[in-house]
Amino acid sequence: MRAILTIKNLRKHFPVKNAWGTDVALVKALDGVDLKIEAGKTFGIVGESGCGKTTLMRTLLRLIEPTSGSVVISEEIIGDKVSSNNLEELTSQELRKFRRQIGVVFQDPMGALNPRMIIKDIVSEPLVIHGKTDNMRNRVIELLNNVGLGEEHLYRYPHEFSGGQRQRIVIARALALDPKILVLDEPTSALDVSVQAQILNLLNDLQKKYNLTYIFISHDLSVIEYMCDRLAVMYLGRVVEEANTEELFSNPQHPYTKALLSATPSFDKNKEKIMILGDVPSPITYLDESKAKLATEMTEQEKLEIKSIEGKGIEYIVRSSLNEVFPLVRISGEHYARKVK
Amino acid sequence: MLEIKDLKTNFNTYDGVVKALDGVNLKIKDGEIFGLVGETGSGKSVTCYSALRLLPKTGEIVGGSIVLNGEDITNVSEKRLREIRGGEIGIIFQDPLSALNPVMTVNEQIGEILVLHQNEEINDLASEKKIPAYKSEKWKASPGVEFTIMAFCMSFISLFVMLGQWRFSLPFLFVIVSMLFRNYLQGNNSASALDLLVIDALSRVKLPNPEQIASSYPHELSGGMQQRVMIAMALAGKAKMLIADEPTTALDVTIQAQILQLIKDIQKEENMSVLLITHDLGVVAETCERVAVMYKGKIVEEASVDEIFTNPKNEYTKGLLNAIPKGGKERLKVPNLKEVEAS
Repeated sequence: MRAILTIKNLRKHFPVKNAWGTDVALVKALDGVDLKIEAGKTFGIVGESGCGKTTLMRTLLRLIEPTSGSVVISEEIIGDKVSSNNLEELTSQELRKFRRQIGVVFQDPMGALNPRMIIKDIVSEPLVIHGKTDNMRNRVIELLNNVGLGEEHLYRYPHEFSGGQRQRIVIARALALDPKILVLDEPTSALDVSVQAQILNLLNDLQKKYNLTYIFISHDLSVIEYMCDRLAVMYLGRVVEEANTEELFSNPQHPYTKALLSATPSFDKNKEKIMILGDVPSPITYLDESKAKLATEMTEQEKLEIKSIEGKGIEYIVRSSLNEVFPLVRISGEHYARKVK
Repeated sequence: MLEIKDLKTNFNTYDGVVKALDGVNLKIKDGEIFGLVGETGSGKSVTCYSALRLLPKTGEIVGGSIVLNGEDITNVSEKRLREIRGGEIGIIFQDPLSALNPVMTVNEQIGEILVLHQNEEINDLASEKKIPAYKSEKWKASPGVEFTIMAFCMSFISLFVMLGQWRFSLPFLFVIVSMLFRNYLQGNNSASALDLLVIDALSRVKLPNPEQIASSYPHELSGGMQQRVMIAMALAGKAKMLIADEPTTALDVTIQAQILQLIKDIQKEENMSVLLITHDLGVVAETCERVAVMYKGKIVEEASVDEIFTNPKNEYTKGLLNAIPKGGKERLKVPNLKEVEAS
């Protein structure tokens, strides 16, 4: 296994201040994440909103500074003439070089494209910024051809395109500088299934053509299962399970993973259902020690919901039982999970 | 229950007429969950807005009829429509935070529906329990106005005291005292019949501490709780039919499973009809009994859920089902719309 990025014990805590500006609590958006991202493969990150997926993506791009921990970049991305291979210690010149190697595709294409710029300017902007202006027009047309658009689209504005075409433009721009890694933050969640199928096919083709490494963030498990080679499930800022996709889908270990897999709507009516009861707990941890720990006893809502589904033969887990933190252990081979009693 | 016959809706735009619905036929029976699936722009939402006559000014129904419980509501008066909306058909929208009013408490918003559609019940409950039907509106101005009035009174009091005519300051003293003890003077802080019904509506959707939630604002609640409040609002008017327009699109899968379970439970308890509009075929497979697939303002296929997933007849339905990744790594088939239209 050739790791292209190695994330070591990454933490990002956002302070919560009171009216006088003193810290009263921390939002632990990332709380000790260890991941290895393999070159040429697709690494998936799943989890519900608020679990830290996007914060992880932002720290990987160094858009925000982590509280502690490090991201180690392999030599093939950044070369061996750098002061350090730790993302946090790169000089601004080296950071520019790193950012050239990593492209980003965001969730909402209309929000990612400037409505007042024509497609030619949008796609060539990274080339201008990084000073690769020779033969730029041909390069832009080549990029557009790669994603299934053509020369006739050069002088149009984003609003003249459909949702799927806009996402293609975003992908073309992300590929402008020949990156080795592409970070895809929910690239298809704003799209219909038929358009989604087109975009997923396009991404697979591009990966083969340019030997790209994908970091694929999504909450749609059917898309994740289709795209990813390896998968990490996140819950409240921690990785609760990590395994190769087939292994994880056939043999989930952590109760949250099991519930997540069974909660995905499917056509199979006989599929085993595990409901997850209660609301997502707040990720705020108070500095005051008496309030510091998340309660592990059941909340009122969970009791109510248990009462309402009792006797219907539905299996369930309650969220408060997930609040206690257990260490990540190896299940078998490359499969890691947090064991719960 | 609800029957839509050959419904045609047009939108008049500067670029010409958009035929959003082009002859839609639907029949929703009593006590069934009916799914309406389609992609963006296929006309699913326009169907539900047309059924409730909630179209914007540019849209108009140009043909067909909508029959609710044997009554043709295509051309009924606005007055009758107001009774139908909320009273006979409840509706849940996609994004709960934009559907709820951010400056009204949950109590006020659900109370509004109850006052409009359940006035008799409120009065019955009030006379039965001997409590007031509504809470009397307290005299209350903004803090700034109250402060100004207080300051004026104080200055007059000090003026008269300085002049030695303290007797003239008594009325101003009275104003200040009555403002300070306003709550005691107006009395009656117990719950009114309306409050009890609101709490009842909230506990029907399995919300914990309904008293506390009733007095909170929408932004204080989580997404799942907001959607539960929306469902409580839709059910508060004792509607026998519920239209759910993408009720779980804005929610996570685990919360989505909870909300769908809740809709199924309530449907069974009250024997309601539910029209579930969604773009997610998985959601339909799990909740609905019958389903219709829409494409370009027409219904291209209607069948029971089991049949549509095992044996789809229409080319477009087949294309949609093939486009969903289902395990395996083979290339996804993109529906070929030209072939679809030819067939």
